Amino acid sequence: MSAALRAELFKQRSTRTSLGLFGAMIGLVLFVVLLHGLGLAAGNFDSSSKQLTVLFGWGEVLGALFAALLGAMSITGEIRHGTIRPTFLVTPRRRRVVAAKIWASMLIGAGFGLVAGAVAAGLGTAALRARGIDIRLDSADYVLLVMGGATATALWAAIGVGVGAVVRNQMPALVGICAWLLFFENLLVGDIAGVGGLGRLLPGAAAKAISGQDPDTLLAPAVGLVLLAVYSAAAAVAGALATSRRDVP
Amino acid sequence: MTEGADATVGREALEKSVSMPGLPGDNVVSVRGLTKRYGDVFAVDDLTFALDKGSITGFLGPNGAGKTTTLRLLLGLAEPTDGEALVFGRRYRELDQPARRVGAVLESNDFDPGRSGGDHLRALALAAEIPSGRVDEVLELVELVSDAERRVKTYSLGMRQRLGLAAALLGDPELLVLDEPANGLDPAGVHWLRSFLRSLAEAGRTVLVSSHVLAEVAQAVDQVMIIDRGRLVAAARLDELTSGDRTLEDVYLGLTARGPS
Repeated sequence: MSAALRAELFKQRSTRTSLGLFGAMIGLVLFVVLLHGLGLAAGNFDSSSKQLTVLFGWGEVLGALFAALLGAMSITGEIRHGTIRPTFLVTPRRRRVVAAKIWASMLIGAGFGLVAGAVAAGLGTAALRARGIDIRLDSADYVLLVMGGATATALWAAIGVGVGAVVRNQMPALVGICAWLLFFENLLVGDIAGVGGLGRLLPGAAAKAISGQDPDTLLAPAVGLVLLAVYSAAAAVAGALATSRRDVP
Repeated sequence: MTEGADATVGREALEKSVSMPGLPGDNVVSVRGLTKRYGDVFAVDDLTFALDKGSITGFLGPNGAGKTTTLRLLLGLAEPTDGEALVFGRRYRELDQPARRVGAVLESNDFDPGRSGGDHLRALALAAEIPSGRVDEVLELVELVSDAERRVKTYSLGMRQRLGLAAALLGDPELLVLDEPANGLDPAGVHWLRSFLRSLAEAGRTVLVSSHVLAEVAQAVDQVMIIDRGRLVAAARLDELTSGDRTLEDVYLGLTARGPS
């Protein structure tokens, strides 16, 4: 492990930010899964595809969102507080710093995804069972849901770092990520996907595909994985270039 | 009337007096034709100087004169439009273990308020591959041991200045670059800082310290460079500059006078 990566992991655990993001994510997963699992009519759960989309997929969706926020904040937070200056004084090869932030965020992001996916799977299953609704997922679906979801959240953490490095300003970066994942993509995938099916090529839709959600509309998991990896790599390169070419704020 | 004309000393001659002879690249700091332009504004305009080992140099000038920009260029945080700024003969970004050669404090508050002072130093030590024992040493040096595990948001300005200094000293560097280190310090803090800088220079370190407050600097430095509107207007040993009954303040005001604004 490189010195820069050790430093980044230490930074992540020496403030309460990561823990706060983790807590907010868990809280939202609990809330959404319980609300939908207990509140929606049984007709919404009559196929595995519907169960994944309406209920179990929330672990991946919220995991990806919070992993991306964590990744973005790992760099916008440093810019906001000015610690980016001592960071670059100690490691003046800035791409190393960006790379370390990406690896650290991906590691923690994968953890976010694992926990969010497992909580959504466990709680969702319990909620449906309690109502006497048949679970339509088999064990392979569960594995894909949690492991695929964790992979997707790790890749979204890298996208977050890239976005943070390019945008730099914390508030627009975070609002942009939230708006993209929670609003624009739903709009594009949900309403316009019929037009050419381009919505499923977007990074949020690719992340859903990796965890096996909505296989009728979205890409196959493996294709989604490749596509999202390309998005992550592109964001990482953009972040590294933006950081090494522009003056430090 | 100011005595601007009298106080203005030939720029070439002054550059020489700071720029000691030696092999090129032998100087701890060498800056040549350094220029930074933002749009039409020259923040730093064709600056040339060099610093020798073991000197304390005051870098003076009014607010906005280009001091901070010069230091940022020197430390690789900004790219010059033209010219070069070298430390130990190389661009800062090409130094192998920069923290072990150069320590710098650019802003008095470059900390995450939610991280403890000790952890701020530990993160930097990890990145610089400096043993964690050194963190305790520098905490002791700046007298922050008992506050090390408190979050920085609870620190006073003086404590933050000292924490920044501790971070700069982590790698036991040969060159120390400090931007306005006395800002916000009380008289006791300024006194502490002065004697601290003195002790560093006596130990053979080179110190470049910027300030817009002359009194802070006059008693601590060997030589001064005065910059105004991005250009070097004077550079000399303090005793040369203030010969006769001219004080540093007379010289400074003469060189940087803009009239009442």
